[in-house]
Amino acid sequence: MRARKALRISQVGLRGVVGSGLTAAHVIDFASAFGTFVEPGKPVLIGRDPRASGSMIREGVVAGLLACGHEVVDLGVVSSPVIQHAIRRQDAAGGISISASHNTAEWNALKFFGAKGTYLSTAEANELLDIYHLRKFRLVDWTGVGSLRVDHGAIDPYLDELAAVFDFEQLKRPKVVVDCCNGTSSLILKRLNERFGFHFILINEKPNGRQFAHDPVISADTISMQLAPLMKPLGADVGFQFDVDSDRVGVATEDGVAVSEEMILPLIADYMLPRAHGKLVITNLSSTALLEDIVALRGGKVLRVPVGRQATIDALAAYRSDQIALAGEGTGAVMMSQFEFVYDGIASMLTILSLMVERQLPLGEILAAYPRYVMRKAEEPLTSTRIPELLARLQQQYSSGKINVQDGVRVDWPGEWFHVRVSQTEPILRVICEKKGEAPTALFESLIEQVRESV
Amino acid sequence: MPREHLLKIGVSGIRGVVGEFLTPALACAFGHAFGTYVGRGTVMVGRDTRATGPMLQHAVQCGLLAAGCEVIDLGVLPTPSIQMYVSASKARGGIALTASHNPAEYNALKLFNGRGLFFNNYERDELIDLYHQSEFYQAGNEEIRNVRTDHESAQKLHIARVLKHVDVDVVRARKFRVALDAVNGAGSVMSPSFLKDSLGCDLVAINTDPTQPFPREAEPKPESLGDIAALMRDKNCQIGFAQDPDGDRLAVIDENGRVLDNDDVLALAVEAGLERLPGDVVVNLTTSSVIDDIAARFGRRVYRTPVGEANVVEMIQAVNAAIGGEGSSGGIIFPAVHLCRDSYSGMALFLHRMASTGLTISQLTDRLPRYFRKIGKVGYEHGRLGTLMLQLEDSFPEARLDRTDGLKLIWPEHWIHVRASNTEPILRFSAEAKSETEMNDLYDRVESLLK
Repeated sequence: MRARKALRISQVGLRGVVGSGLTAAHVIDFASAFGTFVEPGKPVLIGRDPRASGSMIREGVVAGLLACGHEVVDLGVVSSPVIQHAIRRQDAAGGISISASHNTAEWNALKFFGAKGTYLSTAEANELLDIYHLRKFRLVDWTGVGSLRVDHGAIDPYLDELAAVFDFEQLKRPKVVVDCCNGTSSLILKRLNERFGFHFILINEKPNGRQFAHDPVISADTISMQLAPLMKPLGADVGFQFDVDSDRVGVATEDGVAVSEEMILPLIADYMLPRAHGKLVITNLSSTALLEDIVALRGGKVLRVPVGRQATIDALAAYRSDQIALAGEGTGAVMMSQFEFVYDGIASMLTILSLMVERQLPLGEILAAYPRYVMRKAEEPLTSTRIPELLARLQQQYSSGKINVQDGVRVDWPGEWFHVRVSQTEPILRVICEKKGEAPTALFESLIEQVRESV
Repeated sequence: MPREHLLKIGVSGIRGVVGEFLTPALACAFGHAFGTYVGRGTVMVGRDTRATGPMLQHAVQCGLLAAGCEVIDLGVLPTPSIQMYVSASKARGGIALTASHNPAEYNALKLFNGRGLFFNNYERDELIDLYHQSEFYQAGNEEIRNVRTDHESAQKLHIARVLKHVDVDVVRARKFRVALDAVNGAGSVMSPSFLKDSLGCDLVAINTDPTQPFPREAEPKPESLGDIAALMRDKNCQIGFAQDPDGDRLAVIDENGRVLDNDDVLALAVEAGLERLPGDVVVNLTTSSVIDDIAARFGRRVYRTPVGEANVVEMIQAVNAAIGGEGSSGGIIFPAVHLCRDSYSGMALFLHRMASTGLTISQLTDRLPRYFRKIGKVGYEHGRLGTLMLQLEDSFPEARLDRTDGLKLIWPEHWIHVRASNTEPILRFSAEAKSETEMNDLYDRVESLLK
């Protein structure tokens, strides 16, 4: 039987449709669990995206943390990266972002950050889950209950950190349109305009808690809805689109082409790798092979790990931080060593602008110069019990290639690969194929046939 | 063996020691049940100055918002101000986070309906059933509303309402020298402003820092009011007022630094109230007969109810009384202002009475008929209550019986009242008589019977 999809409690945190799945009781218990988990005696930072349900969740999060004796600092409506950098700067015990990120408005979630502002490792996330399930919280007695402080000034110090890495004067040159999808990016971009004299043209810039202008997920489809068609009429050099908590970014070219979210990581690698101390780029098994081409050209190396944030976080922890340049996914979420390995859409945008300014080329031309890869993706509903058999059969069938079974089955040939895996968030099987130079039609069709036979 | 309960969910809402017992999860669930019960409207939330207040307030607000309510955060505010503002603003209900006169480690949720009145027994039962059933209304993102903050309006409304019922100019003209002990509670800011700015008093105030813990026992009793009594003698004050942490109870100290008996406080307030307004008097069974004597002077009737503010309030409504209250707990209810215990109405009535009579507070007290009273309590075992009550009845066959709340034995010149506490596993008893010997004799007989 399939679980109801409206609530998911996992290593990634708490996520659900508010009301029908995620309730006030979950919030109180999870916040109490986190208050028990993090180091006592230091503040815990919180912030939220503009979703209307954020008001309810904030109250519960504050109550749970205060009851565990923490000083709580509420940064208000801010992006997840702003919270993460503030945690490190303020030497806090950790933090919580109340945001369902790229999900639609009826969803909300708690994202948990550790003392350095990074996501919890798998071991830490498991401990938090154990505390949540046991419900043995470290509730302090009445003399030790914490207090709440409101700090709405976290954006400026975040911008100072960006300004220390990027040449803002240069980056003001391109004409940039941004689709904020009614999320937190608008607060940062308006401040960049106001304080540093940028000229970002913003659409869907009003934070709206009830409904977003479109699905906030970053993809060529959503970029095509409003942003891409505006590029030519506005004569813009480039367009960016953010998800609600601004940890992901997507792009549109000067010609109004909605660029695949797969291209964000290669673009950033192209600019950042020569500037980073480390040479390792961490990504998952499902993202484009173009990354290997670009990283090789820039003297780096790609490390591929299972899909999902947790695998990336654990891979980061397995290396010295000065060995790693970047980590990211094919979703438009990228973290850089210069920014303490925080998924950050704004920093990603500034990197892509820096690349354009350095090359003195429009984005369309930069992309056109890259080797061409064509990706095909499909989803098939699954019958969980048949999965192991299917994966074993695929390994036999495609034994001519290099086989990787870290996460489902991935098989590589020169210039072509596929990845078949089970989604962590939905009861579906994901099939991804990519080929250099042309569409991987034959491979894709044969894979789909086999998958359908088995499910 | 009597046990002390560190958490109680029952007739008086939810009350407990914060930490292991009164948790954010409980407060949130209760808020969620309350929001479901009153429906998706506006709910006012305020609190006293306990350090655990903000935590519980956020938890309660989480539950209310999850039920689809709009929340107005009134901040730190006396309970009567919250009640009045709920009723004046057409909100669906209100919640005060306060354990009133209980010690600082306790906190509690006081629940008010849309008229700003304590939930009556039926409302409370329905809410508690809903809480236990845990089938709360779950608002989605479309319906979830915000917390709005309003730290001003309730206080203004409360003061304006009280001032309508005193001759402000007469009081102001006297420039009374008044001492105040606000126990660093919810009245810390409002009471000085009320006494100084509104009533023109020359104020000497202590314990008016809402950020500090309670400097004395939360309940304003003679034993705990040494500081203000000393201050009054030192500064030659004409009257002293001491509040509890949520500003519903009032203790009064005379110009000699003597803390008035709570029943005398109520008697003087009743006298002042009856002088101004027509109507009868409602008090609980355990309140002194001095009230009957005062009412008789004005030709008014006294109605008696079981102990508990809600019971007195219900009867005041039913008989449209002029004033009422509960003697032993220092609670004055002046319905012209609002149907709740209100220390501000009490302060105003006292100052007005002093101004209009030209008498000192000790002179006013001395003019009251003299009764001797003593209250006590003993623990009891479950299952023994009936036997104890029967023994009492048998020991005093000549007395008239009132079984409305526990057992009251009444003679023409004296009475005994024995009842089980709603909040603790103890029996409370009181004896009153015209002479001290008679009172002591009664008290000792009851005490030995119960022990």
